[in-house]
Amino acid sequence: MNIASLLEDRRQQWVELEVLCDQLEVRGRAARGEASSILRFAALYRSACADLALADSYRLPPATVTYLHRLVARAHNNLYRADRLDPTSWIETIFVAAPRQIFADPCVRVATLLFFGLFALSMVLGFQEAAFPDFAESVLGKEQIESVSEMYDRPLVGSLDHYVTMAGFYIRHNTGIGLQCFAFGVLLIPCLFTLAFNAVSLGTVFGYMSRPDTAGADNFLHFVTAHGPFELTAIALAGGAGLRLGVGLFATGGLSRIDSLFRSAQLAVPIMVASAMLFFLAALTEGFVSPSPLPYTIKALWAILSSGLISFYFVVLGFPRDFVRHGTVLAEPEWYDPLAEDEPQTEAGGAA
Amino acid sequence: MITAAPLDTTIAVVTPENIAFEYQLAGPFRRIPAYAIDVLVRCGLIVGFAVILMMLGLGSQMLIPGSFLFAALLVGYFLISWFYGTLLETYFNGRTIGKWALGLRVIGVDGRPLDGTRAVIRNLLRIADFAPMAALSQLNADLPPVFLIPTGMVGLVCMICTRRMQRLGDLAAGTMVVVDERSWQLPVTHIDDPRAAALASFVPADYRVSRTLARTLATYVERRAYLTPPRRREVSRVLAEPLLQRFGFRPDVDPDLLMMAMYHATFLSDSRPTGLPSARVSGPSPLLRDLAVPPAAGLPAPVGGLPTAMGSPAGLAGTLATAPDSIAVNTEGTP
Repeated sequence: MNIASLLEDRRQQWVELEVLCDQLEVRGRAARGEASSILRFAALYRSACADLALADSYRLPPATVTYLHRLVARAHNNLYRADRLDPTSWIETIFVAAPRQIFADPCVRVATLLFFGLFALSMVLGFQEAAFPDFAESVLGKEQIESVSEMYDRPLVGSLDHYVTMAGFYIRHNTGIGLQCFAFGVLLIPCLFTLAFNAVSLGTVFGYMSRPDTAGADNFLHFVTAHGPFELTAIALAGGAGLRLGVGLFATGGLSRIDSLFRSAQLAVPIMVASAMLFFLAALTEGFVSPSPLPYTIKALWAILSSGLISFYFVVLGFPRDFVRHGTVLAEPEWYDPLAEDEPQTEAGGAA
Repeated sequence: MITAAPLDTTIAVVTPENIAFEYQLAGPFRRIPAYAIDVLVRCGLIVGFAVILMMLGLGSQMLIPGSFLFAALLVGYFLISWFYGTLLETYFNGRTIGKWALGLRVIGVDGRPLDGTRAVIRNLLRIADFAPMAALSQLNADLPPVFLIPTGMVGLVCMICTRRMQRLGDLAAGTMVVVDERSWQLPVTHIDDPRAAALASFVPADYRVSRTLARTLATYVERRAYLTPPRRREVSRVLAEPLLQRFGFRPDVDPDLLMMAMYHATFLSDSRPTGLPSARVSGPSPLLRDLAVPPAAGLPAPVGGLPTAMGSPAGLAGTLATAPDSIAVNTEGTP
């Protein structure tokens, strides 16, 4: 059997496979056609794979081998398709994977400490007018201080139109900043900078507006109380997710740097999903609850409730439960001990 | 034995069928146009979404308050600008519109298709790959510092330094971008010159064509249609001259024809050529020992054995020119 007739024999199958590939690509996965053509496709793909594997012993011409490589690659892409974003897996991510990762991840702790530490520090510095008279102005600038003060001088009255628009704005703007903070985490420095910048500037505004003599201080407190827990936590989490990503480049844990980055990215995504969810809740609160003329008690209650929810989410859902599988505690099995004596192990276990 | 690694930008992937096949990797200058198309499509989508919302607002006679539409526009803008790539890549099997236009596809480094998590990572990290930002005010202090231009240096350097040409987002997601061309022609090689088969019958039966020679022959025969006859001779002479010497052929055998004969013997004939006279097509023999009987007038009989005859390319060209009906002459025109 010579190679030319062998090629001619195979070529018909290859062309058929190409036609099937065309059909699959044009119609997509929604309308896959009848089952027999799919079976035929798989069979043809396997035979093309076999042809490629035997190409060297058949002594096929190089151009034919190149053709086969591409044909197999194309059919491979049609056979193995991308998983869609599955909403049921989101639930698993949000309520199982994310809280556990947040609870266990030291990067989240570092980012949280950094954010809330700087936040508290600059809040104190901004508040102590006597001790640090220039701090707020040098951090924020005179114009911004005035505009903030002026903004909160107006009473909180809003219409539904205003609420909805502002909610949309906050979703776009704040979540965008969070995602950006996460993405820059892979370069580490920009992420830390964004985190620290937000901490210092927000803290200074809080401190400045808490001064008893500032105009609009009451309204400010009214405004920020409700959405504060969600939003501040979300920023810290975004920074923690970014930090996780960047630290993977340095703390490799014995893996190659690229593998370590890959692994830490997989770990960081649930944190970022949780952060985006908190950003979304914060934006809704900030849009609808914060600017409304509801009594302060209700807003404070909402803040307490949201803090409680966040704590529940982090601590109760996130508490490590690896040792619990299917509701039973896995006991350590009793291993064979060659030095053990025949006496019952009541005292020995405690001594060991 | 030292095997030179291929310089091509291909990457081998082992499939679950235990087959290793090669993908061609896509470099930065194939991916940047794809991204530019994606940016345009994204802008178009946002504008289209805004227009639809406006029509909705006008069509419903202000039944839907404008603020809701505006909020929807903001949320839509947010979703499109951040999750365009993620959604398209997961729903269209690793391709966005720009990638589809340029024949690119994202797959995992192990050759498997990408999943949602990977798509999220590689699309979110794109802004890190576009770092650092350059402001216009760096060039000229008078310009306002508002226009930030992403330089993309991080991603570019990262692509240069990695074997699979991955940017940071690809590294973190474990993906790579490959060229996914839609159609290729299976190269078809026909040898319609009957003299090739005739000459092939004179190739000694005990000569075994090696693997590399077979590959070279196939490449040559596929390529020769793009060469002029003098160029064919020039290229093929390197390989043909030792073969002519080894087979004891006349030195005025056209090297191009010898290559075709070898190709015929390797790929097209059912069995090895026997070398028996009965199997031959009638015609003058190309063998040097048959040349002792002068076949035609005007042929300068090479005396003194092969080495001298082989040693002078000018003499070979001369014999080619003066042997009009010999098997060795290529009478084909340029294809």
